[in-house]
This record gives sequence, C-alpha cells and structure tokens, in this order.
Amino acid sequence: MILGLLLLHLAVCGLLAASGRRLGRRGLLVGAVPPAVTAIWSATRLGTSAPQTAEVTWVKGLDLGLTFRVDAFGDVMTLIVSGIGALVFVYAHGYFSPEAAGTGRFATTLLAFSTAMLGLVWSDSVWSLFIFWELTSVTSFLLIGHKSAEGTALAAARRTLMITGGGGLVLLAGLLLVARAADTTLISQMLPAHGASAVAGAVLVMVGAATKSAQTPFHVWLPGAMVAPTPVSAYLHSATMVKAGVVLVAVLGPALGHLATWQTLGLAFGIASLLWGAGGALRHRDAKLILAWGTVSQLGMLITLFSAGTPKATLAALALLVAHALFKGALFLVVGEVDVRAGTRNVDELGGLARSMPGAFWTAVLAGLSMAGAPPLLGFVAKEAAIEAALALNGPERWAIGAGVIAGSVLTVAYTVRLLVKLFGPGPRTEPARRRTATAAPAALLAAAGVAGYAALGPLLGVLKSAAGRLAGGAEMPTLYRWPGLTAALGISLAVLAAGLLVGLLVTRRQVRVPAPRGARWSDQCLEATLAFAKAVTGRVQHGSLPVYLVTMTAAAALATIPFLGSVGVGHLFAWDTPLQAILAATVVGAALGAAAVGTRLGAGLALGAAGITISAIFVIAGAPDLVLTQLLVETVIVVGFVLAFGRLSRRFPPVGLRWRSVRLGVAGVGGAAVVVGLLAASHNPAGAPPIAEMVSGSVGEGGGKNVVNVILTDMRALDTLGEVVVLAVVAVGILALARAPADSGSPAP
Amino acid sequence: MSVALLGAVGGLTAVGLYLMTGRPLSRIVLGYALLGHAAVVALLIAGGRAGRPPIAGRAVPEAMANPLPQAIALTAIVISFGLTLFLLSLARRQQALSGDDLVEDDLEDRRIAARQGEPDEPPGPSAP
Repeated sequence: MILGLLLLHLAVCGLLAASGRRLGRRGLLVGAVPPAVTAIWSATRLGTSAPQTAEVTWVKGLDLGLTFRVDAFGDVMTLIVSGIGALVFVYAHGYFSPEAAGTGRFATTLLAFSTAMLGLVWSDSVWSLFIFWELTSVTSFLLIGHKSAEGTALAAARRTLMITGGGGLVLLAGLLLVARAADTTLISQMLPAHGASAVAGAVLVMVGAATKSAQTPFHVWLPGAMVAPTPVSAYLHSATMVKAGVVLVAVLGPALGHLATWQTLGLAFGIASLLWGAGGALRHRDAKLILAWGTVSQLGMLITLFSAGTPKATLAALALLVAHALFKGALFLVVGEVDVRAGTRNVDELGGLARSMPGAFWTAVLAGLSMAGAPPLLGFVAKEAAIEAALALNGPERWAIGAGVIAGSVLTVAYTVRLLVKLFGPGPRTEPARRRTATAAPAALLAAAGVAGYAALGPLLGVLKSAAGRLAGGAEMPTLYRWPGLTAALGISLAVLAAGLLVGLLVTRRQVRVPAPRGARWSDQCLEATLAFAKAVTGRVQHGSLPVYLVTMTAAAALATIPFLGSVGVGHLFAWDTPLQAILAATVVGAALGAAAVGTRLGAGLALGAAGITISAIFVIAGAPDLVLTQLLVETVIVVGFVLAFGRLSRRFPPVGLRWRSVRLGVAGVGGAAVVVGLLAASHNPAGAPPIAEMVSGSVGEGGGKNVVNVILTDMRALDTLGEVVVLAVVAVGILALARAPADSGSPAP
Repeated sequence: MSVALLGAVGGLTAVGLYLMTGRPLSRIVLGYALLGHAAVVALLIAGGRAGRPPIAGRAVPEAMANPLPQAIALTAIVISFGLTLFLLSLARRQQALSGDDLVEDDLEDRRIAARQGEPDEPPGPSAP
C-alpha cells in the first residue's frame, strides 16, 4: 500500500508534467486526488496500532535502500500532510485566476513536494529520510521561486535552498554518526545511543532539524519565503515542510533523547525561536509575515516540548502539532483570500472585513482562538498540556521551559489579537472584490476541525496517545483534558489569555516600526562572502599556467607517498641481475639527462632515441624479446616523428622557462624519489612466487601458443588489447585530422 | 628488486618531470616519452628477477622471466607511443598557427583568475 500510494503520486505527477499546460488550472484538482486518497487511507488506519512497512532494496550488503514504515505517529503525520495537501490543492484552484500562467507547472511541483514530504514522513532508514529531506528542499525551492520573473522571489528561493539544503548536508553527517553509534540505519530500531559519535551526531542532527524547522538563527529564510503564492505558504510553511525538522526531533527522541547535549541544544533553539518568532510576529505589517513569524514561534514551542522528551511533553507536543497544522493552515488560507479579494496584505490598509467577508471572519476567529489557546478549541487543550508538562518537570528545565512557554503564549495571544483586530476590526474600510466561494471552504473546514478536535477529544486522545507512545519509547501516557478543573495550569492559562489580550490591544493601537530584514541580509552576505572566497581560491589555484599545474600535481603526489615511508624495506634489494644492467641503467639516465641538457632540437631528439634503444637493451637482459622488438620499432617512429614535427622550427630551443628552474629541479627530484619510495614500499611484500608454470601450461594448453606474452595479449586479455587498438585508431584519426588541417584555419583567439 | 633499474626509474622520472614542467612543447614531448620509459621499466622490475624469455619449450618455467608484467608493459609502450605521436602532431599544428611551440597560459583560466574581485551577478534585492 505504501509503495502503491507513492507510485500513484508519481504517476499523477508525471501526468501533470506531461499535460499540465493543457489542463491549466484544472490540473490542481487532478493533483488533489493522490493526497486525498492517501488521507483517506491514513484516516482508516488511525487507531490501529499495527505498523505497515515496505522496502525497496538497492544494495543489500550496505543496508542501502528505501525503507518505509508507517506507525501510529506516521498515521497522524500522513493525515496532516495529505489531508491539508488535498485541501490546499482545492484552495489553489480557486486562488489562481483561470488566466494565470504556469498553473500546470505549479500543480506538478506542489504534488512533487507532497510526494517528497510523504516519503520523508514514512521513511524508516536514514538513507531514505535524507533523500526525501533533500527532495523537499529542492521542490520547495521551485515552489518559492514560482513567480520566477520577480527578483525577490528568486533571492528568497535561493536563500531557502542554501539554508535548508546546507542543513541537509549537516543532517546527513549527523545521521551517519547516529546510525553508527546505534548500530542500525533503521530509525524504528534505534536504542538509546551512547558515546562520542552519538553526541556529535546528535548536535549535527539537531542543527539540521533547526535549519528546516526555521529555528533561530536559521529562521531567516522563512519570512522571505512568503513571496511564494499563498497556497504554498499555507502548505509548506505551516503544515508540512517546516514540520520536517520537528518530525526528525520527534522520531529520534528514543535514540538520542537521553543525551544532555541533545536536550540542551533543542531547548536553546526552541525557546529562542519561541520568543524571537513571537516578537517578530508583533512587529510586522504584512499579514502573511505575521503568520510566518508566528510559525517560527510555534515551531520553537514544538521543538522545546519534543526535546524535553517526557511523556507529558511529548503528548502535549503532538496535540500542538495537530492543532498548529489546522489553525495555521486555516489562517494562511484566509489571508490568501483576503489578499486576492482586497488586493493587499498590509494590515494597516485593511480593516472592517468582518462585515464584507463574514465567512473568512468566522474562520479566522475560530482558527485564531485555537492559536491563542482559548477554549473550546484544540489549541486550548494543547496549550494546557504544554504548561502542565512544563510544571511537571524538575530542576532548571522547569523554570526555563515554563518561563519560555508562558512568555511565548502571552506573545502568541497578543499577535493573534493584533492580527484579528487589524483585519476585521474597525479601520480603513476595504471593499473586497467579488469572488467564488470555493476558496473559502478549505479554510473553514480546517478551522472547524479545531472545534471538532476539542469536541471529540476522546477518540483523538487515543490516536495521539498511541503516537506519543511510539515516540516516548512506550512509556505510560498521561491524558489530555477538555477542561482540566481548577489546576495551576488553568490559572496560568487564563492569566496568559488576559495578559496577551492586554498586550495585543496595546500593540494594535500603536504604530509599530517594521524591523529591517537584517537576518536575511546577513545570510545573503554570508553567501556572497562564500562565493567571493571560492572565486579567490579558483583564481589562485586555476591561473592557467600548465607548468605550475604540473608542479602542483607532482608535489601533491609526492606528499601522498609520505605514509608509505614506513613500509619501505630494503631486504629484497639486490644490486643488479648482471653487471651490464647497471651500465645500461646508467646509460639510459645519462641519455635522458642529455636530452634535457642539449640545446638543439635535433640533439634532444637523438638523445631520446638513444634512451629508447638503451631501454630495449635492458629488455634483452630482462628476458623480454617482444618488448625489445616493439620498443625498437616505436623508438624509430618517434624519433622520425620528432624530427618531422619540429623540423621547421629553429634549431635551438627558445630561451624561456628559465625563471623557475630551481623549483622545477626540486620538484622533479622529489617526484623521482617519490616513485622510488612507492616502488620500494609496494614490492616489499611480494605475494609469493609468480605462477609462471601455470601461465606457461595455460598458454600452451588453452591458448595454443608457445609465446606466453603473446598469448596473454591476444587471448587472455584480448578485450584489453582490443581497447588498446581502439586507442591507437582514435589517435591515428586525430593525427590525420591535425596534419591535414590547412594552416590558416585556426580559430581566432577569443 | 634490482637497484640499478630502480635508479633508472627514479632518474627517468625526475628528468621527465623536469622537462614536462617547461614551456616548449618539444621538451614536454621529450619529458612525456621519458616518463613512459620509466613506467615501463617500473612494470618490468615489479615482475621479479630477470630470466629466460617466457616461451614454452625454450626454457623450464623456473628459469623464465615473469610474462605478465611483460604483457602489461607492452600495452604501456604502445599506448605511450600513440600519445607521444599525438602530442607531436599537436605541436606541429601549433607551429603552423603560431610559429613557435610554446605552451601559453590558458586564456580562459586567466580570465577567471582576473575576475576574482568582481561579483558573480548583481545581487538580488533582499526580501521584504
């Protein structure tokens, strides 16, 4: 079923890619089908506890492959990803005007993203997790840059890709370390891991999760990504993609949650984002940006609770995860509708929409109250549970988390109030354009789900409990209350609501100064500095001089032989096979030196010939008659070729290339020594005597030839020899082409 | 392993590298050919002691030289022969075009190096 659903997604993706232009806006409705089917499937699975698995093996021995596992937590996430996905597709159908360009492409990319997100949620092995993680980065890059004619959109898309893609690489390193420490690549089978590599892996994984989930200071991409069409923001930046990091922190909780580093880092990221994001949401005027900053804040809360890791905190986090997906999705869709109908998202220019857009108003109020954590909505249950979980902790965490959660909740109430009052309260009366009502239905559905979740808390609690049980390693689960009775948490909750209302109304009255997008600028500057550094390095290293390249390469190769110095042995050395061999060796080196020293081209060519002929004499001593014949033949042709090639040039070499002579000499000497070291190290431990007798008998018996070397070339290694012949043929064609090219046909220098 | 041949390999490599790092293409060809010689001799001494030619019937296998490195060395000779000739014809072509055989710096690389201070493209406006 898992693979079937993924294939359905891919097939529809292919269909949209092929005929998206023809389908136009209707493609969005086609694209809604796979998520809808998946959502229904996961809805039927809710409550059943048997996990479903699927596997596509690639390399068996390395545990490489795509491994999927849908358990209780996976069901909840699937319902969020696919359910909201289907609604967003329907919404987008109303959001884009029929004439809008590129809707087919949009539908394809959105469905591709939805597929990647499902794969991410379903992944069990770290490999598939990483692959789908990066796929969501790439597809979200395409979606954010959908309006590719706008420079802002492209800059934002690039920033997102840089931060989330870079975070993905950090994540990969972290996952590898964790998998090594836990001794398995399957996340569901990881037991609490210990040791240095577990700690290092935990840090890297947490950083990777923070980039994706827009945690301070990596949040800078999220506000910029609001240039995307609103359906994208609603889907990616509230319900799904930014949840990927949270999901990761959640599912790795059983393996890493006991590490102090993991907890501390998660709490630091979480509480910082919780407060900083809420502060940002209070200061912006663009309704979408307010929601985006609010998302940063809510994600911070989720990371905080999942990092705390107690059963209570995990259950509260799950409730908040569901509630946030519902209310934030609804609010984004409402803002998108306001944007389309009123033509602006600036809250200072909007107002009085309660009368002209009653549907949107009630949707926003329901969703907003859930966001603020007011009863009777799911957000209230989640907020209560979060405060209670914080109070139940002990030690310094209790105060840190408690203070963070309470302060963040006050600010959340405040920015909710500000958003609602600015949009729907008194103010400059905006007259929205007429519009079909299909756009409003998905948002209303999401907001109503928040009420339904509160009303039907019993069944929902069962689902959440089994999901939280999976994440907390099967610990005993507390319960959630629709109305907790007169507890400290309730008192705090009511105080938070009152304080938030007060702050919100005060802030709404005052004109706020919109903060400069400093974070985005810093991240852009980092990127530019990296590029400048890369360019400087390229300029230094790739300067175009062939001699310097060769010197660098030789020096690097010589350095690479240093580790072999230890395995150099001299026990197997002997002076020579015959004394004549020593004389010949000296002669060949002398001829080579002559070729280098002599000033005329003809002289150098002759010295080269002398060296070659001496080599063939060495072959005679070594007992290699075939080599002797070949070498003599080849050497003759090369000397003739040398004379032919350079015959028309001046007799002497041009007096250049003398400047770096000492460097060249030094590097050449080092290179020669390195080759000697390499040979000594390699020949120190011969693998027994060569099986000459077998080769001879094989040559006669199977190859039918007495000359063993010839049989090896033409029979045993016939394919290699064929390749060699092909090389020679290609060389011959090249030489022919070069030789016949007319003298004036050279391309002019650019 | 024969020290004499080991010395020949080292010497040929050093001289070959020295010649290849020069500017005139004719010297680079010389250096390349010498490096080829060094490689062939290195293959040969990797096979063990010298011996009788590895031809069945002419000697007992115990007295024969190892035939396998010889076969590989033969391939090496032929390939380096082909490439040397190709280099030579490149050199001849360059003479026809520029009148000498000096290897100039790569113009494209030079341009990249000269551009290092400039931005890649005008930086995009930052998001609101």
